Amino acid sequence: MAEVEVCFARALQSQAGLPSACAAQADTAGEALQALSRRYPQLRRFVLDDQLRLRRHVNIFINDALIGDRVALSDPLRDGDRLHILAAVSGGADAEERASTGGWR
Amino acid sequence: MSEAGVLVSTRKGLLIGRSAGGRSQWDWLPLAFAGWVCDYAAHDPRDGSLWAAVSHEQWGPRLHRSTDGGETWEETATPAFPEGVSIEADGGGDTVRNIWTIQPGARAGELYAGVDPGALFISRDGAASWQLCESLANHPTRGSWMAGAAGLSIHHISVDPRDPDRVLIAGSATGCFVTRDGGESWTTRNLGLRALHLPPEMMDAFSEEAAGHCIHSMHAHPQQPDRIWQQNHWGQYRSDDGGESWIDIGEGLPGEFGFATAIDPRDPDTAWYVPLDQDQARMPRGGELAVFRTRDAGASWEPLREGLPPGAFHQTIYRQALGVDGGDPVGLYMGTSGGELLASADAGERWATLRRHLAAIVAVRAWTLD
Repeated sequence: MAEVEVCFARALQSQAGLPSACAAQADTAGEALQALSRRYPQLRRFVLDDQLRLRRHVNIFINDALIGDRVALSDPLRDGDRLHILAAVSGGADAEERASTGGWR
Repeated sequence: MSEAGVLVSTRKGLLIGRSAGGRSQWDWLPLAFAGWVCDYAAHDPRDGSLWAAVSHEQWGPRLHRSTDGGETWEETATPAFPEGVSIEADGGGDTVRNIWTIQPGARAGELYAGVDPGALFISRDGAASWQLCESLANHPTRGSWMAGAAGLSIHHISVDPRDPDRVLIAGSATGCFVTRDGGESWTTRNLGLRALHLPPEMMDAFSEEAAGHCIHSMHAHPQQPDRIWQQNHWGQYRSDDGGESWIDIGEGLPGEFGFATAIDPRDPDTAWYVPLDQDQARMPRGGELAVFRTRDAGASWEPLREGLPPGAFHQTIYRQALGVDGGDPVGLYMGTSGGELLASADAGERWATLRRHLAAIVAVRAWTLD
């Protein structure tokens, strides 16, 4: 399996109590999340929805590229890759839109 | 009463107020869950614990419980769809977007959670685990349910004090349903409700089994559970037979639209509605905020304005943002979409502003202890 580094968003560090970064062994982004969820059980519900898909406003980058498979998280990893788990800046857009239309709640 | 409490759920967290006596002076805890939307918070009369349903656009929904009046919170299990279960039309598998309401059941450990997308979860172990109510999720009328501007929600739940297995739910736009067997099966309770967002052919086709009605709020009276009050997208209604039929009580109100309602836990004939101007503007008609009270089961209405913000009011009162306590006289608490908390200690006669400059208030619930 590939030896990779996983870096967590600052918000995940403060909200979920995760470190800034840690090492993982995995061949895909999904395997990395699975391995890390054993170490940090809270990670899963922060990052994945009920169907284990990446939450809409969470992004995962492998080095400088956004992953392409947000459902099965099958994007491959190679030795030395850095996996960045980040909060998308789009988060909050839905709520603001709903509030502005008066339809929120 | 020796103590009153109010839970103010806002788009930026949960604010808890306590009044030691008289409801004239309030002490406020620091904002809990800062930065998370507090979708709903409830006081559990069985043991005094508090429940807070929160969500975050990035991190999803969570449920928390406090057993010390909100000083500290512990995360419980959150309702979640089983893997592969898909009740929405796209078939892609569902996920809970947010929890709209938490309702304590009659039995120890029993809790109901209404969620978006249009589902009910039941816990029998104090939120250590949750089960999707599949009979409702797969109800034959589901094809006529549809999301409103705020999503597809189950937002009001009433457990019949005469029978813990008899539960009434309402949603938007799902309609009203009742179970008499603890959630094994559900029957529609929408006869007589307008549904002008659906073609009449659809209503005719379902006849008494029609669903998809856009209920904005609904309360069954605790002393007279067959007396139910409802604000619908298309009017104000009352039922005297457990929802089997609905009576239009909108005459005397300034419009059919509105969200928030409250009922007097001591008097089945008294209720408060906050009518808004049609379904596009969603502001008080004429631009001035008023709460309308009936004391004769909807036969007549009186506007209550004393102490409410005077003049132009370009805000909304959301569907769960009018709370009532159990005091005598009853206390009312109203949150606005502009972050003002308004309260009355005399059943709505006179109002005062308790808090300003909060985030949009989405739900207000209150209680008193003797």
